[in-house]
Amino acid sequence: MAGSREIERTAAAWLARRDAGHWSAADQQALDAWLDAATAHRIAFLRLEAAWQQSDRLKALGAGIPAGTMPPRHRWRHTVETPAEPRRAGSQATPRPAHHRFRHLAGWTMAATGLLIAIAGWHWHAHEVVETISYQTPVGRLQEVPLADGSVATLSSNSRIVVSLSRGERHVELQRGEAFFAVAKDAGRPFVVDTRGRRVIAVGTRFAVRRDDDATRVVVTEGLVRLESDSPPGGHRQPTTLLPAGSRALATDTGVTVTAGSVQQAEAFLDWRNGFVSFHDTPLAEAVAEFNRYNNRQIVLGDNRVGSLRVGGNFHWSNTAAFVRLLEQGFPVTASEQGNRIVLRHR
Amino acid sequence: MVGAVSDFLNAWFVREILVHEASLLRYLRRSWFRPEEIHDLRQEIYVRVYEAAAKSLPASPKSFMFTIARHLMTDRLRRARVVSIDVVGDIDALNVLVDELSPETRLNGRQELHRLGEAFDRLPERCREVVWLRRVEELSQKQVAARMGISEKTVEKQVAKGSRLIADHFYGDGPAAHARHGDNRDRRDGGGRGRQQGD
Repeated sequence: MAGSREIERTAAAWLARRDAGHWSAADQQALDAWLDAATAHRIAFLRLEAAWQQSDRLKALGAGIPAGTMPPRHRWRHTVETPAEPRRAGSQATPRPAHHRFRHLAGWTMAATGLLIAIAGWHWHAHEVVETISYQTPVGRLQEVPLADGSVATLSSNSRIVVSLSRGERHVELQRGEAFFAVAKDAGRPFVVDTRGRRVIAVGTRFAVRRDDDATRVVVTEGLVRLESDSPPGGHRQPTTLLPAGSRALATDTGVTVTAGSVQQAEAFLDWRNGFVSFHDTPLAEAVAEFNRYNNRQIVLGDNRVGSLRVGGNFHWSNTAAFVRLLEQGFPVTASEQGNRIVLRHR
Repeated sequence: MVGAVSDFLNAWFVREILVHEASLLRYLRRSWFRPEEIHDLRQEIYVRVYEAAAKSLPASPKSFMFTIARHLMTDRLRRARVVSIDVVGDIDALNVLVDELSPETRLNGRQELHRLGEAFDRLPERCREVVWLRRVEELSQKQVAARMGISEKTVEKQVAKGSRLIADHFYGDGPAAHARHGDNRDRRDGGGRGRQQGD
């Protein structure tokens, strides 16, 4: 189908031709046929026609101007009074006035002050008192953690979260590793996962957040989450990203990449919850890093060549031995055990 | 479509939907990260609104249109395989309530006339003259051609151009907005309507 600008030009051409006079029944038929061919045609024509009809009212502005004379530009301001510049939302579309939030905050501050003094060991968070609990898993273990709000966090291997539930916000700091969240719906209390200067915000949805050394990854399998970033000091505010179900985001220091896909595709990235890691044409270096997240017994690449081989398939992440055996069978790779390490070399 | 029904629907569309075009464009520009797609998004939103209204008229047309806009952007985001690197737009505007984003923009008759005058004044010189002679002095295209000493074909082209530009200025907020693709990020704060608002 033609692009919207092309359609608009065609509609304008029709309008001008009809305006030219000598308009026959056959012309009208041809125009009708074009209009009926697509709603986009009809809309474009309708819009231009309405504007063209409006221009008839220029006559009102032209009153008093002698025929055959072009009015100078910008004379209307003097002839047509306007009470004020027509309201244009753009300039007024500032988000809710800041003082609202402020007042809210101040209220909580006063309410909470007494509590702060009374209860030692509780933390001051956002605008009220909350209890903070941390959970962590060792290498090779997953853990399901039911949270007090009804949400459930699934911690991957070697991961750590710190959970603070307050009245206004459910806050989780992902300090290490990866966690999947099935968030209980609570519209008034956003669920915020904070890691490496990024905030992943949901109301009721399912998603995972993973913290790597150089990146934060988010996978959404249900609902919609928002990915926000801290502004670097003195820097520009980083854009906010909306992530629908099925999307995956990779946030690094240089920006955010979003890959949209089906929920099924997204679920594949969460196979670790069932004990699997899956690879699709993945460089061996990456696959090995993935395995090492789940095991104390680390696989090490003995040379660069071996790291660029590409592997695919589903593997039990707990079964490093089987993975290495498959590599030896299917690839030009030899493995040697050195203490708690398995070294892979190109053959 | 049956004539009377379609006339009714068309009038409804002009009265209830087109009048919010400026708000819609502002919303799209704030929310969508590819400025060059705004024109196309607008078209698709109008098509969806129109087709839905043909079945049953929505009770609050403006919020209906914004809802459709939001759904459309979410759909497109979902369909696009790789959305972008680094330049993902400020899509959190999607979550902003419509009325917060665009207070009532319906103009009264005088304001409308004023706006029309401004739209007319923004036309390029030759186009402006053609529109004036055709619409105010009510000359035919042929007479306009004779008066201005240009061909009828040129007059027709200027009429086509005039209808597009007047629509953009009167309903939207002007084609200049389309031209400013490059500085999308700088405009995001909302205030940056530049000269269009200043004068």
